[in-house]
Amino acid sequence: MTRWGMVIDAARCVGCQACTVACKTENQSPLDAWYAPVIEWEEGEFPDATLNYLPVLCNHCEDAPCVTACPSGALTRRDDGIVMANEDVCIGSRACMTACPYGALHFFEDRGTVAVEGAPAEAVPSVPERYAHQRHVRGAVSKCTYCAHKIDFGLENGLEVGVHPLATPACVVTCPAECRIFGDLDDPDSNVSQYLAGHGGGEVLRPDAKTLPSTQYVGLP
Amino acid sequence: MTAVSSTAGGGAGPQNVFMDQFNLEARTQRVWDINHAIWFTLMGVGGGVFLAGRILNLTEGLGYVLGIPTVDVVSFLAIAVGGAILVADLGRPLQAWRAFVNVRTSWISWGAWSDLIFLVVAGLLVLPALSLGGSEPFSGLGWDPHGGDGGGLALEIIAGVAAVVVMTYAGAVLARPRAIPYWNSPAVPLQFLLSSAAMSVAVVMLIEVIAGEPVTAGQMVLLAVLTAALLVATVAHLLTRTTEPGKRESLDRLLKGQYRRLFVGLVVAAGTALPLVLAVVGAAASGARDALAVLCFLLLVPGGFWLRLLTLRVGIFPPVHIPGVGGPRSVAMPAGG
Repeated sequence: MTRWGMVIDAARCVGCQACTVACKTENQSPLDAWYAPVIEWEEGEFPDATLNYLPVLCNHCEDAPCVTACPSGALTRRDDGIVMANEDVCIGSRACMTACPYGALHFFEDRGTVAVEGAPAEAVPSVPERYAHQRHVRGAVSKCTYCAHKIDFGLENGLEVGVHPLATPACVVTCPAECRIFGDLDDPDSNVSQYLAGHGGGEVLRPDAKTLPSTQYVGLP
Repeated sequence: MTAVSSTAGGGAGPQNVFMDQFNLEARTQRVWDINHAIWFTLMGVGGGVFLAGRILNLTEGLGYVLGIPTVDVVSFLAIAVGGAILVADLGRPLQAWRAFVNVRTSWISWGAWSDLIFLVVAGLLVLPALSLGGSEPFSGLGWDPHGGDGGGLALEIIAGVAAVVVMTYAGAVLARPRAIPYWNSPAVPLQFLLSSAAMSVAVVMLIEVIAGEPVTAGQMVLLAVLTAALLVATVAHLLTRTTEPGKRESLDRLLKGQYRRLFVGLVVAAGTALPLVLAVVGAAASGARDALAVLCFLLLVPGGFWLRLLTLRVGIFPPVHIPGVGGPRSVAMPAGG
């Protein structure tokens, strides 16, 4: 069984926020929604100060509290482990936002959008499903989907997910430091499994929340 | 670990409304606030008044509105208004019906169903008593609206069970996820249940006073027991897991910071401890019971509202990562696949 996951080597991150912007561009997320920001913080005092970076995004948890809390069934976990938000089904209760330990869900208030006016909501035959993910519903919650539309496009067209740029999440493709690796966590030969094995395993954020994230980290400060 | 400070909006405060997402700091939830506190309170009172009216055998004798006992009318109104506020607060109110879908795991769905079941079943229960223009068009329905026969009793039991869920589920919604440590405790739904019950007894006693009926010592004893239990639950919640990231910040705000006066003064002292004392006094002093009952109402209902609002406002997410504190290795993925 495939279980898509991402490994983030925080030690490699240079804090350029290219992933933040690439995600925004790819998903046309609502004005105040950042699905994949890089947290930065200063540690220590001059002259022994360090600037740290931590890329974050939806953790696509195996035991996803957002899915559990959602009353409408708008949040679901696919068989391949990706947690999806169906904005057309969402009622805007925001229960998921209080249940997610990572702040990975975003409520689209009626404050405008950066989405291009007229972006087609339906799939266009020449660019299958290309723009459907860019349509956001006011009053609903949206989130990172690991660029599921790209993964599905890759699988449909025989592209290697996590390797081919058209079949890999935008944040992974754009990262100049290659600190993000995407692949199948259930395949011991996959790039993510190999990377984790080479680094003695990964860590997760908020382990106390016991959500079993598919986004794992190495090199955490 | 040395000092950690944010470079993106720390120190002088966030540079813009989005930037707190980029900080490695504890983060206060802002999605649920006063509207939720109002409907949490109204749901608690609505379910509780229905139950209190029956447990204290006060559905009759305290006045009627269109033939329906006043306590039941108050109960229905509270739940209907609370439900309307809930729906209005949704991002997509016209899709509200979808709240009934995920009963498998979502406490909000359970709450939606319990609200609906309560209103329908309790409404059916009292329907035979409905009087319109001197006639009782539904008197032919085959059950006693006061639960005096099999059909009426069955409806009363179903409505009563739904009322208990209505009183509790808001707390359960908060308590289930582990994201916010202050909420993630069985003490929260217990507090909400006990607060709802205490407020409801106070509301029923107020209706008694308005109707000119005597408040009894037994009712005062019941109120004393409920407020004492609420005080114990509140204190127990404050004394457990006090050093846990997130909860520590919540407790700081409640006990030392910006909400100290409201929480310690309005919720704990005036909203719980003082009504407890007044109820104990009222149980012994029959002459002052009416005045004490009114005073308990005036203290308990605002106290219950502020308990809920402050619980929401101190909902704090700990930082997603605490530098230098590693989690367990490969929770989901053993090294080497």
